[in-house]
Amino acid sequence: MKGTIEIEVKDLNFYYSGDIHALQNISFPIFKNKVTALIGPSGCGKTTLLRCFNRMHDLYPKHRYEGEILFQDRNILSNDIDLINLRSRIGMVFQKPTPFPMSIAENIAYGLRLKGIRNKSELVGRIEEALKHAALWPEVRDKLNESAYELSGGQQQRLVIARALAVEPEVLLFDEPTSALDPISTSKIEELVGSLKKDVTIIIVTHNMQQAARVSDMTGFLYMGELIEYGTTEKIFTNPDNKQTDDYITGRFG
Amino acid sequence: MDNSRKHNYFDLLFASVTAVASFTVIIFIIGIVAVLFNESSLAIGRFGVVNFLTSTVWDPVKGIFGAATTIYGTVVTTVFALLFSIPTAIGIAIFVTEIAPNFLKTPIGVAIELLAAIPSIIYGMWGLFTLAPIMSRYVEPALKASIGKLPYLGFLFQGNPMGIDLLTASSILAIMIIPFTASIARDSFNLTPSVVKESAYAIGATRWEVVKNVVLPYSKLGIFGGAALSLGRALGETMAVAFVLGNNHRIATSLLDAASTITVSLANEFTEADTDLYLSSLYYLALILFVMSFVILAVSKYFLLKAERKYSR
Repeated sequence: MKGTIEIEVKDLNFYYSGDIHALQNISFPIFKNKVTALIGPSGCGKTTLLRCFNRMHDLYPKHRYEGEILFQDRNILSNDIDLINLRSRIGMVFQKPTPFPMSIAENIAYGLRLKGIRNKSELVGRIEEALKHAALWPEVRDKLNESAYELSGGQQQRLVIARALAVEPEVLLFDEPTSALDPISTSKIEELVGSLKKDVTIIIVTHNMQQAARVSDMTGFLYMGELIEYGTTEKIFTNPDNKQTDDYITGRFG
Repeated sequence: MDNSRKHNYFDLLFASVTAVASFTVIIFIIGIVAVLFNESSLAIGRFGVVNFLTSTVWDPVKGIFGAATTIYGTVVTTVFALLFSIPTAIGIAIFVTEIAPNFLKTPIGVAIELLAAIPSIIYGMWGLFTLAPIMSRYVEPALKASIGKLPYLGFLFQGNPMGIDLLTASSILAIMIIPFTASIARDSFNLTPSVVKESAYAIGATRWEVVKNVVLPYSKLGIFGGAALSLGRALGETMAVAFVLGNNHRIATSLLDAASTITVSLANEFTEADTDLYLSSLYYLALILFVMSFVILAVSKYFLLKAERKYSR
């Protein structure tokens, strides 16, 4: 796989609750405008790894990073990183839809206001743009001022994606974004992921191997906190080098 | 067979014992209400309802009684106590849930609970011997010289700063109810799902922005319920207020005036009530307090339940 490297993980080790060693010596590149999938059995560390990219672990005590994650050649694990700025450049979408307790329009305006955009007409334009981007606009254009809780689960998830897109991040992290959704909503989100990669670099954690195969360009297989194998999705799913990878993707364990 | 009958027998006994315990409470409530009605019937017959509620005369010598002054004192002290305590309590709850580092969370939580454990008579003594002199010497003259000179608000701070007045009583009450409001506000804040908070942080919100736009909207029903619960407690508080309010039956427009509340009148005057009508009027006051507390408790429970049902999915 050729391409520009957006993020480079170098010898990453991560500990939480004092000294539980959750990630061990992880190194791999993430390419710009590609979808990178992280797969592996429950507890393998894939979500923990994902949450390193926007330093989500920093919200909780007793964690420790070692090694480097270079994002456009800057180590985002260093202490002098402005987390507020980092998180507006590396957005995140969670397992369950997480609309805020406000209207559909306000949910998106929220992130924009945080970025300092206050001009009313600009806000309106950016809200529409973000909703179109997330393929939600036709369904909500007439009820922008209704509570976000009125939407279905799949719509809420696309709203959350629109909210994340509105602040124009360079990277978007997806943490099992369809695990709480029905099949139709799931396929909509997968389509969306495919169409978004022209604008953002995407890293997606999923326990659904078919999903990883469908949406990603690159795949990393994690097991027990280690990155067992990393390569193009085609290679990982058809001809993996490692026996454990082969066993996992053919369903012999996990 | 035999064995299972024995089980059934014990189960029935067990059920009955718990049922009796529960019904006792209901019987007590009914009994108390009955006594209040019965004892106050003389005053109800003499003064009626509307007249008693609106009359500002409380004259034991002439035997004319009205509840307006004490209801007024009760409402004013309670409202100002809430005004002082709610912002503080919300601040405490925000600090404890969102901002304080872990090693500080527990000590602060324990300190707040200890505040709730201090018997109210101790607050009263502290209020009389410590807070009242401070209020009369420093705080009240300062308020009088500043806000007291303003239009519209000035009337609140007129008269002699004696320290035994509505302001001191409200302050004591505020300190006493902070733990209740703070702990309910904290519980309400914890109703906010952490993943929603995380997603606000994930688009680059600061702690203040997360609290203001995500945590507070999630918890407003709970905070409202908590405030109402504190209100109920403030209404019924006797001893601390009795020490620092004076017992003066009048409608005081200035917070620097002495006044009376329902509970303070009851505590001070039962021993002096030398006529049946006087005694009956005091019972009547108690009945009014009971109804006020009951309504407020019902309202607060309603909002707390609504908050729980709405968000704890």
